[in-house]
Amino acid sequence: MGLPPFHYLAPQTLKQALEILSQHKRKVRIVAGGTDILDRLRKRLINPTYVMSLRRLSDLTGIKKRKNELVISARTTVREIAEHPSIAEHFKSVAQAAASVAAPPIQNVATIGGNLLQNSRCLFYNQSELVRNAAPMCINQGGEVCLAVKGSTRCFSVYQGDLAPSLIAFNAMAVLQKAGGKRSVPVSELFSGNGRSPLSIENDELLTEIILPIPRGLCGSSYQKLRLRTSLDYPLASSSVFLSLSRKGVIEQARVVIGAAGPAPVLVEKASASLTGKEPDQVEIEQAAELAFQAAQSANNLALPGAYRKKMVRVFARRAIEAALSDLEKAGA
Amino acid sequence: MAKVERQKVLLRVNREEHELLIYPHRTLAEVLRDDLNLTGTKQSCGEGACGTCTVLLDGLPVRSCILLAADAEGKEVTTIEGLAEPGGLHPVQEAFVEHFAIQCGFCTPGMILTAKALLDKNPHPTYEEIRHAISGNVCRCTGYAKIVEAIKAASEMAR
Repeated sequence: MGLPPFHYLAPQTLKQALEILSQHKRKVRIVAGGTDILDRLRKRLINPTYVMSLRRLSDLTGIKKRKNELVISARTTVREIAEHPSIAEHFKSVAQAAASVAAPPIQNVATIGGNLLQNSRCLFYNQSELVRNAAPMCINQGGEVCLAVKGSTRCFSVYQGDLAPSLIAFNAMAVLQKAGGKRSVPVSELFSGNGRSPLSIENDELLTEIILPIPRGLCGSSYQKLRLRTSLDYPLASSSVFLSLSRKGVIEQARVVIGAAGPAPVLVEKASASLTGKEPDQVEIEQAAELAFQAAQSANNLALPGAYRKKMVRVFARRAIEAALSDLEKAGA
Repeated sequence: MAKVERQKVLLRVNREEHELLIYPHRTLAEVLRDDLNLTGTKQSCGEGACGTCTVLLDGLPVRSCILLAADAEGKEVTTIEGLAEPGGLHPVQEAFVEHFAIQCGFCTPGMILTAKALLDKNPHPTYEEIRHAISGNVCRCTGYAKIVEAIKAASEMAR
């Protein structure tokens, strides 16, 4: 099936793009790499009047170093992020996450902005019209029932972006621009936690940059992802962990983030706090992983059962903590 | 909604310029197959999962079923039809034939283009690198072993 008809706009400048957004607001959808949005168009999950392509905005690509931070423009491809030496040097788990997105040909065009601002997904919702029409309309389609969690009146769709957990673990900021305005928010605040409208971004705003503060001192990080195949698949559970070491040899900062375990990636404060100020032993690592497990949602709405995915959050959080610790050991040795 | 007009799109495909008047919601795969008759590019899943629609965009493999034709403007598109030289098949094509890497043939154009892009960047890949490069291309017949062998052989030929 082809895509639904729309008006195509390809602004030459950022100013023009922001004007188009402020004029048409929710009637316009943005295409950067297109790998996610074209599928949603084809499945008639969205039906915009206008589609705005960012292809001519060359200012929106590239990775720059600025003082103590790395600035990634929103149209930078996932491939560039996976292969960039500064990202590999300072933000290992971001490079790992980028290299694990879908498959190589998709990484060649998919962008960091599109990957971050992808909508949440559900086995019952992300289907062709034909399949969706065979069941009652779910809440996300404007119906009254959740097909995944029977009897529920809220949407349990899952945010399956690969990059967000690692960006949150590194305290990344997102720069959002609109005609006559600009704001920066932590990447974690781009997500509402509401399955029906999981992104906290106004419809006249455009994500233009991601800013990663370069951490000081000895640090380690890791992104771990559960999927059925080692290529192509979205995460079915994931965890990204950042750890830094103080001069005394204890954990100074810890951030344990879980992904694909609810409508938003979650920074698990309790798990992070449980590691801080310690030289964690195996028991303490298991405890932190248990706290990550407790923060995970469990619904039968992806390719593997919810209860299993929730258990795997514990396993992948533990692996991510262990891998980040092993980075610290290597760096300290 | 208001009536959508066709738009002029300039595509450069296999080193030839094409000026097309097309609806903007058409994908590159559709335009290659239906307007330019380049049916070597296959369409299967339509959601970017299978890799049969792979073409090269400025030398990099991409999915043409989830790329708007209009977004390919200003780039060099290479399809399977653009690979053979006047003197004969491309070495990767030769190797696929030699090593029985084709059964039903549906994944072949995507596999060959992906392999060509790999060898252009990395002329002597390891088996691991070959498997990684084609990890986004699904083949339901061969079990991949023959394909990997063919790509390895093509890289040896160039040595």
